[in-house]
Amino acid sequence: MSENNFNRRDFLKVVGMGGAAATLSGCGWTSIQNGKETVVSYVTLPDYVIPSVADYFNSTCAQCDAGCNIMLRVREGRALKAEGNPHSPINRGKMCGLGQAGIQAHYNPDRVTGPMLNGQAITWDKALQELNNKLSGVKGEEVAFVTGVMSGHAQSLLNTYMDAVGSKNRFSYEAISPAVLRTVNKKAYGMSMPRYRIDKARVVVSFGADFLGAWVSPVYFSQLYAKFRKGTRPEGRGVLVQIEPKMTVTGANADRWIGIRPGTEGILALGLINALGASGVSIPADIAAVAHDYTPERVGTDTGVPFDRITKLAALLKERTPSLVLAGDAVEGYSYGTENGMAIAMLNHVLGNVGKTVEAAAAVPFTQFAPVVGNRSSLNALNDGLAAGKYKVVFTYAANPVHTAPASLNFSKNFMKAGFKVALAQYMDETAKAADLVLPLDSAMEDWATVVPEYMAAPEGAYSEGYAQMSFRQPTMEKLYPNTDGSGTRSVCDILLALLKQRKPDAYKDVNDFYSYLHADVLKNKVALGGTAADDNDAFWNDTISKGIVPLKGISGKLASRPVVAGLSLPSPVTPDASYPLRLIPHVSASIRDGRNANEPWLQESPDPLTTIVWDSWVEIHPKTAEKLGIVEGDIVEITSRSGSIKTQAYIFPGIHPDAVSVPVGYGHTAMGRWAKDTGANVFGILDPVYDKTTGELAMNETHVKISKAGDRVIVVKDEGFGGGSQAGKKKIAVKVSAGKVDLSKEV
Amino acid sequence: MHFSLRLFTLLAGMMLAAAGYAADPAPSLTTPDQLGPKIEQPIEFPHFRHAGDEKDGGMQINCMYCHTYARRSMVAGIPPIQKCMGCHKSIPSVQDKPRIKQLFAYWDAKKAIPWKKVHDLPDFVRFNHERHIQRFYFQLDRPYQEVCGYCHGDVKKMTVARRQKPLTMGWCRACHLKDHPLSKDSKEIGHGPNDCFTCHK
Amino acid sequence: MAIDNLLYHWGKFRHNHPVEDHDVPDWEAYPTDIKWAMTIDLDACTGCNACSVACYAENNLPVVGKDKFSHGQVMHWMRIERYWGEDNGVGDFSVDQGAQFLPMLCQQCEAAPCETVCPVGATNHTEDGLNSQIYNRCIGSRYCSANCPYKVRYFNWYNYPEQENAWPSPLEQQLNPDLTVRTKGVMEKCTFCKQRTYVARNNAKTEGRRVTDEDVQTACQQACPAGAITFGDLHNADSRVAKQWAEQQVDITKEIQDKDKEASTDLRGYRVFEWLRPYPSIMYLERVREDKVV
Repeated sequence: MSENNFNRRDFLKVVGMGGAAATLSGCGWTSIQNGKETVVSYVTLPDYVIPSVADYFNSTCAQCDAGCNIMLRVREGRALKAEGNPHSPINRGKMCGLGQAGIQAHYNPDRVTGPMLNGQAITWDKALQELNNKLSGVKGEEVAFVTGVMSGHAQSLLNTYMDAVGSKNRFSYEAISPAVLRTVNKKAYGMSMPRYRIDKARVVVSFGADFLGAWVSPVYFSQLYAKFRKGTRPEGRGVLVQIEPKMTVTGANADRWIGIRPGTEGILALGLINALGASGVSIPADIAAVAHDYTPERVGTDTGVPFDRITKLAALLKERTPSLVLAGDAVEGYSYGTENGMAIAMLNHVLGNVGKTVEAAAAVPFTQFAPVVGNRSSLNALNDGLAAGKYKVVFTYAANPVHTAPASLNFSKNFMKAGFKVALAQYMDETAKAADLVLPLDSAMEDWATVVPEYMAAPEGAYSEGYAQMSFRQPTMEKLYPNTDGSGTRSVCDILLALLKQRKPDAYKDVNDFYSYLHADVLKNKVALGGTAADDNDAFWNDTISKGIVPLKGISGKLASRPVVAGLSLPSPVTPDASYPLRLIPHVSASIRDGRNANEPWLQESPDPLTTIVWDSWVEIHPKTAEKLGIVEGDIVEITSRSGSIKTQAYIFPGIHPDAVSVPVGYGHTAMGRWAKDTGANVFGILDPVYDKTTGELAMNETHVKISKAGDRVIVVKDEGFGGGSQAGKKKIAVKVSAGKVDLSKEV
Repeated sequence: MHFSLRLFTLLAGMMLAAAGYAADPAPSLTTPDQLGPKIEQPIEFPHFRHAGDEKDGGMQINCMYCHTYARRSMVAGIPPIQKCMGCHKSIPSVQDKPRIKQLFAYWDAKKAIPWKKVHDLPDFVRFNHERHIQRFYFQLDRPYQEVCGYCHGDVKKMTVARRQKPLTMGWCRACHLKDHPLSKDSKEIGHGPNDCFTCHK
Repeated sequence: MAIDNLLYHWGKFRHNHPVEDHDVPDWEAYPTDIKWAMTIDLDACTGCNACSVACYAENNLPVVGKDKFSHGQVMHWMRIERYWGEDNGVGDFSVDQGAQFLPMLCQQCEAAPCETVCPVGATNHTEDGLNSQIYNRCIGSRYCSANCPYKVRYFNWYNYPEQENAWPSPLEQQLNPDLTVRTKGVMEKCTFCKQRTYVARNNAKTEGRRVTDEDVQTACQQACPAGAITFGDLHNADSRVAKQWAEQQVDITKEIQDKDKEASTDLRGYRVFEWLRPYPSIMYLERVREDKVV
């Protein structure tokens, strides 16, 4: 696998001439056709291209916001497969299934292939003209731009555009995001995303942080986890305790999984602090005051966790240091989500982990390229504006609020009140369908971009406090839908540049396209990007993009020595309302996530790790609850909340608290494409409008539901293996062994 | 076509040692003169002029000067037009010949030449040029015209190439069963791999 | 003839195999220089499914959809089996230690049950110790699948590329040109990424050296975020996989390992269904959990 230096422009030209024809052969199921098959020669070909030998081009994954560095295997002008870039501090040569499926987003048959105005295909010129007309005479405050997470040059261009329009209505919306956690971390550690050194901890106690599944930067954490489990580590093999009401992939890998009563995670954390204090650990006075009343007996009753388990866990944490305590999605989703998280974060202070396993992260030195992260509260702000009819032009990009907004917001109705809706989209998803103008986007294998991840991973080896990085995304093949006869797709940055040209024609008159803009910008900042002024421009550019990673001297943050605990109090657990007795826990799966990847068939056919269900959504019900309700596997049940109801198949699942049920998010699309549409049910719709009091984030776990059988029964399509999911050990198929019985210290 | 092939395979399998089964019964693999069909190419490329012996008016160019990928890739490859132009730009004496004019026309239009395949194998067969060239040309130091000629015949005497050998599996195996010295100076011998998996995957 | 070759390789292991724990056949008796083998560390495996998706991407596996999946016609060469802890007697599985995952793929058995039953010799043993599946030879009797104890052979009940349109345009451009797209009526299974090992052997041969760990990774191994999969040449003492097998005292030629004859062992290497005597080429490392920690 080689990384080649080359001139991008030449490369694309080559592909343009010979590649298209070459793509048709070589993958066929045809047979001998003497003299019929053509073998098209290239017109020109750089030396490094050898037919039938693949080249690898470094780029950056766009499937989630972790920003893994990848390399694309390219043969005869086609991108074939993504692999991890071994030099990446984030994913270190590895990749998740979601990332692998990025190639299916690129070749997806349901992509939008040209601009559409009210369902009619138009040219780019006309589309931009129409947009300009709609924007003329519109005041800045009447323009809104909704995006997902953005960073790098795209973020900087969007900022410039919003300034040029004179609008402050930028909404950064992510239906699934650790937004509460950022606030908690800020209060507890002084920075919103410190580094979690799982690899250095001897014990990890995770309160619902699915760090091996869908939480923050899972491929990176998986590598740290693998190290954490090694018996050859100087700290010895680590122990993972996972505390959560619904078992996640991470929970499935724990030494001890504790199915806590939903919403009482903070109480357990305070109970642990109390127990630690009782066992002689010195607790700062303000924290001790908060934890004072949380005796193990009371905590045991509130949380449903056996009393002796709490004291044992406290003893474990006291004995094995350093440890690491994490708070994840399961903790955030309450009206007191911030307090819940704070109680848990304080544990790290009490145990002296801050500075040891919670490390300061660095920020990228170019603030204009720093990621603008998303949250759920921005959707409410947008929705209020839409309901009031404030916006004449609304742009959407990398967000699908029509699908992910709770029904109680009435978002799709309010969205129609906007005068002119422009969707920058790769698929005709729900939001694009509701838009007036759809501007089709390039795939991540076709566009140029720079990416700065929110979670700044540290390179392997020495502690590198000030490390920050910027990653490059580059086209790995010619566009599938080129801009011939005015149609085709464009990159988001090219669209933003076109919009900027409408506003500031003089300032941008010399900018041809985003490639030349980026090229010039990189060369202008050679020194800041790790080069020297003496470097040859072409050599520097080629080196930069062929590596795909630019390490930077980051702006180091400082960890807070004390958490802000003032006013922290946790409510007692609620007694369920008799009419809605169960708590609904929307689950974020590692592959489908918030639903934006639902039209990639590999992900639909990739079984959910725990239930092994494919191609549908399901509701997880504890065996005892199911027995009480008379529900068996495959029953179609109606899940009703105060805000609405959905129907889906029941799956009896031992890894969930009896008071809760869980449904994965991201399913139930009504548009988007052949594989996403009508697959499963959309659980976002029935979420109740309950918000975290501190941050205003939608509290994802505060919806209470009732469940009733809807009559039908289906065969659950799943992939449990031939053991039927049990009795693994007896036949010696999947074997587990006690840590005390093996010697792990000498393993290769 | 695929189906008939498999049926034939079944028969071959049942008879256990029936003759090599790769002969495709449907289209004529061999013409009555035991050669491949005559194929009309977009440009009637004179191989003898380029690769032929000096006495026949050829220039004795090594096959791998143009088919440069043969030694480092599964496929020998058709050279990019760029390669043709590398020489022909500086040979004014032949530039008004009709075939060269055609070549220049493709070059000026930046259009690829749609050559027709002469040596086509079914898609489930993976022949590796590199392995054979490395083994016989580089390790055993045999002359390139002999090495390429095992399968392609005496191309240096042809205008447009025509298939000379049957290219059936039995024909491949006949050679793979033969003993060949392991290297130029070695007395040890070995034969080609006989695993089905080597070519079928 | 191909058939003598086939019988030779198939019989090779049986001839050398100690029927009643007599002599251990020594590796020198094998006239081959490579033996591909794998180790999967179940302690590192998180069950995330990245390997399986990578396999779809590498090996041109068709997506079959819900209906065919429900009929057991899924084509995943690599599946992640999920197991719960022991049944506590009242139908309630123990979840105290989470779930357990097991990536199951073709074990490339040395004495493969599938090979002996193929009526046309479409599946047979290769010199480098793989259990090959020759698509153009396969007639679709499916005996091999019936005889496979691991149930890792997948049959093409449909013409996925054409009639089922499993790769609607332009999705077919993603197909890996290094291997065939299978059509209706043939059996298929994991090949240990034959197309990758082929390139590795080819390059090593050209350079006149042995294949090393640096030369090749299978697609699943390359993707695995936790690095649970090791793959390499068991005959090369420098390879990680050979070191692991040696360290765990797992001998590929034995159906009962010496270490298992003793009451207790502090090693965790084992092979699934070893006692059936297929001599699989994949060693699993037991999942380790601290029992009484909390």
